[in-house]
Amino acid sequence: MAREPAGSAELVLDGIAKSYGGTVAVAEMDLTLPAGALVALLGPSGCGKTTTLRMVAGFETPDRGAIRIGGQDVTGLPPHRRNLGMVFQNYSLFPHRTVAENIAFGLRMARIGRAERDAEVRRMLDLVQLPGREDAYPAQLSGGQQQRVALARSLVVNPRVLLLDEPLGALDRSLRESMQFEIRGMVNRLGITTLLVTHDQEEALSMSDIVAVMRAGRILQAGAPSEIYDRPATRFVAEFLGTSNIFEGTVAPGGAGLEIAGAPLLPLAGPATPGSRAALSVRPERMALGPEAEGLDIRLDARVTGAVFRGTYAAYQVEVPALGRELFVYRQADGPLGAVSFRLGESLALGWKAEDAVLLGAG
Amino acid sequence: MTEMTDVSPPRGRTALRPWMLVLPALLFLAGFFVAPLIDNGARSFLGEEGGFTLARYWQLLSDRFYLGVIFETVALSAGVTLISALIGYPVAYFLVRKAGKWSGLVIFLLIAPLLTSIIMRTFGWQVLFARRGLVNNLLVDQIGLLDRPLRLLNTPEIAIAALVHVLVPFMVLSIASVLQGVDRRLEESAQMLGAGRVRTFFEVTLPLSLDGVGTGAILVFMIANGSFVTLVLLGGGLQTLPLLIYQQFNTTRDFGMASAMSTILLVIALVCLWLQLRLVRRQGG
Repeated sequence: MAREPAGSAELVLDGIAKSYGGTVAVAEMDLTLPAGALVALLGPSGCGKTTTLRMVAGFETPDRGAIRIGGQDVTGLPPHRRNLGMVFQNYSLFPHRTVAENIAFGLRMARIGRAERDAEVRRMLDLVQLPGREDAYPAQLSGGQQQRVALARSLVVNPRVLLLDEPLGALDRSLRESMQFEIRGMVNRLGITTLLVTHDQEEALSMSDIVAVMRAGRILQAGAPSEIYDRPATRFVAEFLGTSNIFEGTVAPGGAGLEIAGAPLLPLAGPATPGSRAALSVRPERMALGPEAEGLDIRLDARVTGAVFRGTYAAYQVEVPALGRELFVYRQADGPLGAVSFRLGESLALGWKAEDAVLLGAG
Repeated sequence: MTEMTDVSPPRGRTALRPWMLVLPALLFLAGFFVAPLIDNGARSFLGEEGGFTLARYWQLLSDRFYLGVIFETVALSAGVTLISALIGYPVAYFLVRKAGKWSGLVIFLLIAPLLTSIIMRTFGWQVLFARRGLVNNLLVDQIGLLDRPLRLLNTPEIAIAALVHVLVPFMVLSIASVLQGVDRRLEESAQMLGAGRVRTFFEVTLPLSLDGVGTGAILVFMIANGSFVTLVLLGGGLQTLPLLIYQQFNTTRDFGMASAMSTILLVIALVCLWLQLRLVRRQGG
């Protein structure tokens, strides 16, 4: 088997669908991963993201549709003939083999000679910053080190596409953040097309070029992380990625704003069909409190009912009598980071810009 | 105050301690297991005119006849073990990986024969393979494949088949319990790295389930080594240590020699146990 140059193959999911005995796991999914891009499938458990990954890997066969890698239809190929790399959530290192044997496994399957195997193992161990650990057994390594070996093992064969299944799920929080940077950097350097499956929104936002949010077997929205976060298409996306204040109402005549019974008209940033039901999403960090609310498109009277120190920011819960509900507001502190600068029970102004209110679609 | 702090038991009675609970079992084992064993071992070292002797062991370990019997015993057990492993592994694999909701039924079918006495099972083989038994009846009278009944009973093959039949469940259950714990994702990892199904099996599945094969093999080997009833009823001229011990006791009435032989059989069993303990310890460590 000839070894192709690393990565840079386009992965196309063309209308793939999969059901298990009447239960739809994945419904007619279309997704294109540009060569060299890192794309995250993000969604709650049971949304079909893992089934999608397993179809790409070849462990499941789609009922309909095709999977193409670098223009080649691989839908009918068994996993071992697809030339992909995969890192499992629990790393799945072979416990009965050393680090070097684990990394060399794929090379041995490709019948590559001993000398080249040894050289490649050393090169990969340098790449994942574990030089000299050839003879350790997986059980002797920490979770983070096992993660690196798993990465090295899947990358050493120059896979056309790298599949990451909740790769950081088993690591503790501090390690997770540095591994996010590390994996991101490694994938960028190697220019390898990568499909990441995760239920962790922070992981998806910080690691990928494109995030595809899934629910009940469908992609609700796919786009750049900032776009998905700032312009969520549906209420589910807005609420799944971070916190959101959602307002439901009817679009006023002339599309001037959103009407909610007994409340002032909420301004809309874009055009909307008058008379239709609609929902608006405003991120807590887009809301302003106190003096900062001066001169904004909408201003409401509010009262602080909760204040929490969150480290780099402060989170407030404020009651808005005009809306008859409570809202969340995040505020970067100007003094000491995250210090709470409004008192509980304090009455103040709340406001936001019309452009920060995102009109949501159904779903 | 002094009345209240005095909690020592009344004089003349001893408090019941937890270790005393095992005392009845210990006494039973000491009287009916350890003592006869020591008696038996001592007899093998007792000379004809009293005194200590190693003559019987010297004879057992140098005489070609006895060496042949020891070899035949070990060879028979090894053969039965090998066949049990070859038959048992696929069954265990099916049980763990393919049986799904039928696994309960498969386990029942495996264990059900163990619920009947070994004598009944051995007689079953006799009924099947007798000169005018079921198999010959079918081959000669019903299908007419043969002119004359085959001589099936009292051949080593039937004895081996019967032993395998009795012992294969031990092998299957030992392998299945280890195979159950082999992470499927390890096999999937191997496939992702370019290993086909066969290579995945030999590179990942089999090495990771070898402990189960080892445990099953030692179990089967030990039981086969001491098997008696099956070989008496279906032996087919096989001469093993348990059969010879029986002869020494009942026919030759050379108790000393019989004792020496049983000591050797015991040593083989102890070596097996030691191997198994080592295997389990390595697994745990």
